[in-house]
Amino acid sequence: MISFLKPYRKAAIIALVLMLVELAVELWHPLLLAHVINEGILAEDEGAIWKWGSIMIGISLLAFASGIINSFFAAQVSQGFGYDVRKKLYDRMQSFSLTAFDRYSTSSLITRVTNDVIQLQNIIFMGLRIMMRAPLMMIGGFIMALTVNVKLALILVVVTPLLLGFLLFMMNKGFSMFRRVQGQMDRTNGVMRENLMGMRLIKAFVRSRHENTRFISENVQLMERTAAALRLIETTIPVLLLIMNVSILFVLWRGSFHTDANIGEVVAIVNYATRMTGAFSVFSMILSTLARARASAARVREVLETDDPAEQQQPGAQPFEMRGTLAFEDVSFTYPGQSSPALSQLHFTAEAGQTVAVMGSTGAGKSTLFQLIPRLYEPSAGRIRLDGKLLSELSLESLRKQIGYVPQESLLFTGTVADNIRWGKEEATMGDIIEAAKQAQIHETICKLPLQYDTIVGQKGVNLSGGQKQRLSIARALVRTPKLILLDDSTSALDIRTEQRLLESLKQVDCTILMITQKVSAAQAADQIVLLDDGHVRAQGTHDELLKRSPLYKQIVQSQYGEEATGTDG
Amino acid sequence: MAKLQTPRVKNWTGTLKKIWQYLSRQKRLLIVIFLMVLLSSATGLLGPYLLGFTIDRLDSDASTLTLLLVLLAGTYVIHSVAMWLHNYWMIGVAQRTVYQMRTDLFRHLHMLPISYFTKRQHGELMSRLSNDMENVSQTLNSSFIQVFSSILTFIGMLGLMLWISPLLTAITLTIIPLLYFGMKWITARTGRYFKQQQRHLGELNGYVEETLSGQRIVKTFSQEPKVQLAFKERNEQLKHAAYWAQVYSGFIPKLMNVLNNMSFAVIATAGGLMALKGGITIGVIITFAEYARQFTRPLNDLANQFNTFLSAIAGAERVFEVLEEDEEAKDEQDATQIVSIHGELRFEHVSFGYGEDEHTLRDVSFHARPGQTIALVGPTGAGKTTVTQLLARFYDPDEGSIVIDGRDSRSIQRTSLRQHIGYVLQDTFLFEGSIRDNIRYGKLDATDEQVERAAQEANAHGFIQKLPQGYDTLLTQDGSGISQGQKQLLSIARALLADPSILILDEATSSIDTITEIKIQEALIRLMKGRTSIVIAHRLNTIRRADQIVVLQDGAIVEQGSHQELLAIEGAYADMVASQFTEKPQHA
Repeated sequence: MISFLKPYRKAAIIALVLMLVELAVELWHPLLLAHVINEGILAEDEGAIWKWGSIMIGISLLAFASGIINSFFAAQVSQGFGYDVRKKLYDRMQSFSLTAFDRYSTSSLITRVTNDVIQLQNIIFMGLRIMMRAPLMMIGGFIMALTVNVKLALILVVVTPLLLGFLLFMMNKGFSMFRRVQGQMDRTNGVMRENLMGMRLIKAFVRSRHENTRFISENVQLMERTAAALRLIETTIPVLLLIMNVSILFVLWRGSFHTDANIGEVVAIVNYATRMTGAFSVFSMILSTLARARASAARVREVLETDDPAEQQQPGAQPFEMRGTLAFEDVSFTYPGQSSPALSQLHFTAEAGQTVAVMGSTGAGKSTLFQLIPRLYEPSAGRIRLDGKLLSELSLESLRKQIGYVPQESLLFTGTVADNIRWGKEEATMGDIIEAAKQAQIHETICKLPLQYDTIVGQKGVNLSGGQKQRLSIARALVRTPKLILLDDSTSALDIRTEQRLLESLKQVDCTILMITQKVSAAQAADQIVLLDDGHVRAQGTHDELLKRSPLYKQIVQSQYGEEATGTDG
Repeated sequence: MAKLQTPRVKNWTGTLKKIWQYLSRQKRLLIVIFLMVLLSSATGLLGPYLLGFTIDRLDSDASTLTLLLVLLAGTYVIHSVAMWLHNYWMIGVAQRTVYQMRTDLFRHLHMLPISYFTKRQHGELMSRLSNDMENVSQTLNSSFIQVFSSILTFIGMLGLMLWISPLLTAITLTIIPLLYFGMKWITARTGRYFKQQQRHLGELNGYVEETLSGQRIVKTFSQEPKVQLAFKERNEQLKHAAYWAQVYSGFIPKLMNVLNNMSFAVIATAGGLMALKGGITIGVIITFAEYARQFTRPLNDLANQFNTFLSAIAGAERVFEVLEEDEEAKDEQDATQIVSIHGELRFEHVSFGYGEDEHTLRDVSFHARPGQTIALVGPTGAGKTTVTQLLARFYDPDEGSIVIDGRDSRSIQRTSLRQHIGYVLQDTFLFEGSIRDNIRYGKLDATDEQVERAAQEANAHGFIQKLPQGYDTLLTQDGSGISQGQKQLLSIARALLADPSILILDEATSSIDTITEIKIQEALIRLMKGRTSIVIAHRLNTIRRADQIVVLQDGAIVEQGSHQELLAIEGAYADMVASQFTEKPQHA
């Protein structure tokens, strides 16, 4: 984490120096007071009083100036640091493969980017302003006490390391407790997020009370864990005070009964001990912040250091021009953490320009198959070739740039309709966008929206029907003029007419199309149908071929058109 | 969105009052805490005094000294214990308050109308619950006590100083107006930056939530650079606001420091001059200088707390903002609970729009007798889902009425009405948790057997058993691990278990393959039997059997009748059927 401070080394040093100036002024003041007394009052010299008095005021102003400038530098360091950490975290998350991404819950990642970073910023800002003071004060007091009278100060030699040990112990304990607090914060946030996403369902099932109970149980945990952690930390100051005060008593007791120390020495040591006590209590406050920050730092580091072998590309992979011949060679895939494979021994080829329909029952592995193509996951065995080259040898960016992927659940981002389509291709002109919208059969609908292409959609946007969202996400894929289109059951919410028009317009596009579909009507226009069952390719061929060869396919056709559709004796 | 107007903390006293309303629920404990603070402050003041007293008598006899030492020890112990107790209790008070505020916020969200959520980013709302509440929590934990003890110490010190030298005290107090104006200048700036900071933090949170939720799309579209850039923009805005908030609020302790040092200097000079004239002794100056240092310390603490305090107010205000959002329109006064529904359903000239000038539905009327199945068909965006949303009273019609069992639906309490309506929604939503719990969501007190039976009927049992942990398999929130179609099966099982009187199937089987669909068709027919059902589907063969088919176009009904009747009039429906079957496969 410290390495994040490097760019701000200069500012940090300036802030620290300015802090020392302030400290020096504060320590100098009593000496100046002595001058006022000795040269002014005792020597009965009014001029000296004025002279030393104005020096005191002057250096006070100097300290003030340093303090104000310190504020700027300290804020610059801590905010710059926070900014950098957030940026690095977010960039790292963006570079995750889905395998690594799935390891964290979304709400946990969110908490890490915001809340945890704030904890870290706090400690840095504090550090640059007051943190150094306490240890300096403590060390100074300790040394001074020893020089006054070693025998009397002996108790401090015993107590100081003990207290330091105690503080370290508390900090370690506090660290693990605050870690649990942050973890619980993730879970509480998680329930909140889930409720926001599923609010319609919750209302429909009248489950507010149930959800409240669920939230309350997480919330209670959060309350209890936070209280426990804080209580532990807050115990330190009273304990510390007590121990230091008792040591003072000890000094007094020894001073009066057992040693030959004079009163002056006793007074001095007691004085230093009280100053150390003050420093200790500031110290423990710092420690509580530190414990919390350490817990957060660990969580931030965890993300930054996640071991993620995937999502890497062969060094030197060049951008390439895709033609669109896609071959699966004995490809198997098992989701991380699952025992049975989602795909096994998949083998088929889609020629450039072909339309391939992928069919199969729910859970047969259709969507999984699609996710392997833009390399969201890597196959566990076998090879995928594109234009004869291994997928893993190609430039990942270039590969994805030429694929138009339309996921099953159409997710739009907050922004205008045009923004959402432009998402597919940064440099798309308004003409390109409208063209894509027309191809996706959504242009007319957009024109009816209050602000047409400038209407806000997404989490903060207008109500769109399921079919409208699907077509927008198809437009988003089409605008990039892909060489390979992946349609993951992306027309399920479309009525037949619209679907047919859409498929018709897709035929005009020069590219390979892989489409998952449930509808025979859509599949029979394809050049090839791949029928999946339980992760295996059960049959493949054209509609007519499959109708002859595959009982499963025949069943599917019957399910949609009735017995008469397949003839009686096939 | 670069330069928006700079928001200010709108209503300080109002926000404070609201926080106090929460705190005052624990008034008794607060009084006890206050007493403990009193005790610890008093012993805190007494300690140094006794210490000085003892030092002056170090050479007196052993028994006096022992007594003094014991007295001193007692003071120290009481000081520490009182301090520990008030800390301990205050943390409890603070965390309970924060807990209550979070719970209220959460509960209130459930009472807001659906339309509230369609205009807000999830992550932004989440930020209020986490980041803003965090600020409130930190302030309550420490500031409350600090404020008390600082005020007490301040008063104590002031008394002692006045007792020693009223004139010198008056001179020392000249720093107070300076302090006042300084603070005024600073807070005029900090308030607005803290508010800005919390808002930008919320926006950042919202953006992160949205892009992480859509991570698959970000990846396949290679849009990482784009989202990184957009994130950077928000990150910079946050940095900017946070920087100024921190700089200005950082002035406060520095201001205190300079006043502290100045008063020391003033006391030295003025005291010196007074001493020259013989008004006071050197000892008084030293005591006074020492007191002045100690007397500004509580002020210093207060000022430091002011920082956290400001950002907490900004945070609390954002929380209260949500709490004060209008709830889902209250049920009408005479709205009643209903025990059971027969299921007679009538839409009478219903018109509705989501916005001002939109008309999603226009003059829609239809009638379903108990137990009938009504199918809604029509192109996407025709208003089919809207019909079902009005039925569940997520929205109320702008014109016309919905009559259930002869009663205007507005005269039925929303929750009561929804209890009798079962929903299988277009967007299947599953919660993080086991498969069993997700099905059980339909009926919370269902036994394991009932859950499994529902799963069997929905044809989900087979795939569930193949999962490594069967019914106890945990679903992650993004639902990875099971397919979309399987999710739909689970949500059908969930609705089966709920056993409602009115059933709404909105594209309930769109992602399910047709063979499985036929298998669950039977279950669906069983499910629909004896219930009034509204079915939305694009695959026309799934709705052939409906008692009535309502064809919607652009929000208006164009045709309605049975499958046969509609075919006979050769209108829009007949067209749709024809289009689906013209591509009917040739005989092999």
